[in-house]
Amino acid sequence: MATISVNHLSFSYPTEDGQKPLTLADISATFPNGGFSLLTGPSGSGKSTLMKIISGLYPKFGGLITAGEVRLNDTKISDIPETDRGQLVAMMFQNPNQQFAMDTVERELIFALENQCVAPADMMARVDRALDYVEISQLRHRQLNSLSGGEKQKVALAVIIAMQADTILLDEPFASVDPVARQLLLAKLSRLQHEEHKTIIISDHDLEDYDAYIDHLFVLNDTGDSLVLLNDKAAQQKMATFKRQDTSNQQLLLPKKTDEPIISANNLKLTAGTSTLLTQPKIDFFQHHITLLTGANGTGKSTLLLAISKLHQYNGSLLLNQKEIAKIRPNRLYQQVALVFQDADQQFLNVTVSEELALSLKNSQAPAYFKDRIPKFLEKLQLTQLQDQVVYTLSGGQKKKLQILEMLIMATPVLLFDEPFTGLDFSSLQAVMTIMKQVAKDCQQTMIIVSHQLFGLDALVDYHVTLENKQLQYVEGLA
Amino acid sequence: MNPSLKFLLAVLIALEISFTNTWTVNLGLAVIGLLVILSSRPSLKRLVLLFFVPLIPAVALAVAILLQSNAGIHFALVLFTRIYAYVFVGSAATLTTSVADLVMSLEQNAHIPSKFAYGFLGAFNLLPKIVSEVNVIRAAGNMRGQALHIWSPQLYFKAILASLDWSENLAEAMTSHGFSEDAPRTYFKQIRIRWWDWLIVIGSLALLQVALFGLHLQ
Repeated sequence: MATISVNHLSFSYPTEDGQKPLTLADISATFPNGGFSLLTGPSGSGKSTLMKIISGLYPKFGGLITAGEVRLNDTKISDIPETDRGQLVAMMFQNPNQQFAMDTVERELIFALENQCVAPADMMARVDRALDYVEISQLRHRQLNSLSGGEKQKVALAVIIAMQADTILLDEPFASVDPVARQLLLAKLSRLQHEEHKTIIISDHDLEDYDAYIDHLFVLNDTGDSLVLLNDKAAQQKMATFKRQDTSNQQLLLPKKTDEPIISANNLKLTAGTSTLLTQPKIDFFQHHITLLTGANGTGKSTLLLAISKLHQYNGSLLLNQKEIAKIRPNRLYQQVALVFQDADQQFLNVTVSEELALSLKNSQAPAYFKDRIPKFLEKLQLTQLQDQVVYTLSGGQKKKLQILEMLIMATPVLLFDEPFTGLDFSSLQAVMTIMKQVAKDCQQTMIIVSHQLFGLDALVDYHVTLENKQLQYVEGLA
Repeated sequence: MNPSLKFLLAVLIALEISFTNTWTVNLGLAVIGLLVILSSRPSLKRLVLLFFVPLIPAVALAVAILLQSNAGIHFALVLFTRIYAYVFVGSAATLTTSVADLVMSLEQNAHIPSKFAYGFLGAFNLLPKIVSEVNVIRAAGNMRGQALHIWSPQLYFKAILASLDWSENLAEAMTSHGFSEDAPRTYFKQIRIRWWDWLIVIGSLALLQVALFGLHLQ
C-alpha cells in the first residue's frame, strides 16, 4: 500500500553550456493509495520523465531535481535503499526492447528474484505463478530477443508480478501492443488492483479503452508546469473525446483488376527463430496505393516489412517490379524502397534536427517539391522551434514526427511504415496523416503501413491487408 | 568441472608453456585439448575453423623463425605447436562452458563484483544485436542516399551511440528489476567447487611439471 505524492517538483536535463531548462516546473499531485491512475498529456510534456523520477531511476540515470521532491508514504524516494525499492515500485518501460538484462524469459524472472534475495526454493513457484497470471507460460524458455513487442510487455508485467511490487508504474506501455493484448494487460492490471490492492499509475497520451478501468485521471500540460487531477465530470469529458471511433463498419475497397502490382510474393515463407510466421502462396501490393497491414502481436508484420527491405531473410519469391529483392544490390534497392523503422533512433544519421532535414533534402528524389514546403510541414508538426536540438534528446513523439517527415522528403517510390503513429498525441496524429496523404498523392508514392492504431486511418488508406493464421489477405472492413 | 577453475587451469597451462621449449608437451596438450573439444560434439564447420585459423599465425611464425633467425628447426616447431596448444586448450575450456555458467561461477566462486558479472553477461547478450544493428545502420544510410562503408566514421558513430544507449537502458533495466551494486543476492543455481575440481587442477598441473621436467632431463 503506498501513496505517492509529488511536491513542488522541478526537474531539468542540464545542457552542455550549463543551462538548466525545466522539463517539469513546480508540479504537485498525490496519486492515491490503491488507485488506478492514468497520467496523460501531449507528446513531449514530460510524462516519461515524471514516471522515471517516481520509480527512482532519475536523477540516478540522468537529469537533475532542481526543487521539490517525490515521497512514497512520507519517505523521500531517494532515501529508500535501492534493494528495497523493487518491492515498493516497479516500472514497465515505453520501449519493450530495452528492459531485460538476461537472454531468456525464465532467466530474467529468476534474475529479478535473486536481486530481491528470495530463497532459491521459493523461486520456481513465484515464476510459475507470474507467468500463469499473465498467461504466457508457453514463452517461458523463449529467447527474449525473439519475442514481439506485445509479448515482451507481457513478460515485463510478469517480472513486476513476480517481484510483488506494491506500486506498478507503466510508461506508455501499449505503444507497440495490439488491441487484444492491450485489453488483456489492462484486465490483468485491474485484477491486481482489486484483488491485491496494488497502486497502478499508467502514462499514456491515448485514452482509448481506459474508462472502464481507471479511478483517477491526471493531466500534465504541454510545457510541463501544471499537473492536475481532473474531477469526474471533466475526466468523463476528456475520455469521451477519445472514445474509440467505431471502425467496425468502415468499409474500404478491395483491389481492382486494373491495379498495377509493385510488390509480389509467391510461395513466400518467413520464419523467426524456429517458428514459421508466414506461408503465402500469392499476394500483391499495388502501385500508387496506400495499404494498411494489421494483425496480432508477433504474427510477423514487421518481419514482412524487413524482408521487403532486405533486412530479413526469406524463402520463396518476393518481387519488386518483377525483380527478386534478394538479388537487388542494396544501394539500388534503397532508391526504390525505404523503411520508416519502428524505432525512430535507427533512422537518424546526423546530430541536429536541421542537419537531418538537410540530408534528406540533399538526396531527395523530389527536392523542388519539398524545398518550399518544409517550413510549412515543420510548423504543422510543431517542430519549427526545435531545429537546433540534438535529435536524440527529442521526446518519443517528436522523434517520430521528424522521422516520418525526413523519410517523406526522400520521396522514395515505395515507402514502408512500421508503427508510425506510436507516441503521437491526437493533434500530431492528424497532422502526420494529412502530410502523408498529401505527399503520397503529389509524389505518386506507394505506401504500406503497419499500425495497431486505426483511428482516422479510413481517410488515409486505400486497401487493408490482414495477417492471420500465417496468411495475408485483403479485406473490406477496417477493424 | 567448475567453470572458474577450468579457466584458471587453461590460463596456467598457457602461461607455463609460454616459457618452456618442449614441442612434444605442446603437441600432447593440443591432442588432449582436441579430445575434450571432440567430447563436446562440435559442428564440423567449427572443427575445420579450429584447425585452419591457427594455421596462419603458426605457419607465419615458423617460417619467420626458419628464414630470419638462426634459432633452428626445433624452435620453429616449438612455436608452431605452441600456437595449436593455446588454441585447443583455450577452446576446450570455452566450448564446454556456457557463458551464463561461467559468469555465475565467476560471481559465486571467484567473487568478482556482481556488476561486472552481469554487465558482462548483458553485453554478451547484446552481441547478436550489434551485428544486426550495423546492418540496419547501413540500410538506413542507403535509404537516405548516404552510402556508409566499413570505413565510414558515421557508421561507428551510430554504432557507438546505439551501444551507449543500450548500456544506459541495460543499467536502468537492471536497476528496475531490483539489481543493486554490492547488495547481497541469492542464487537460484548454486555453483560449487567440489574436491574433484581441485584434484583435476592440481593433478593436471603436476602431470605437466613431470612431463616438462622429465623430457628436459633426458
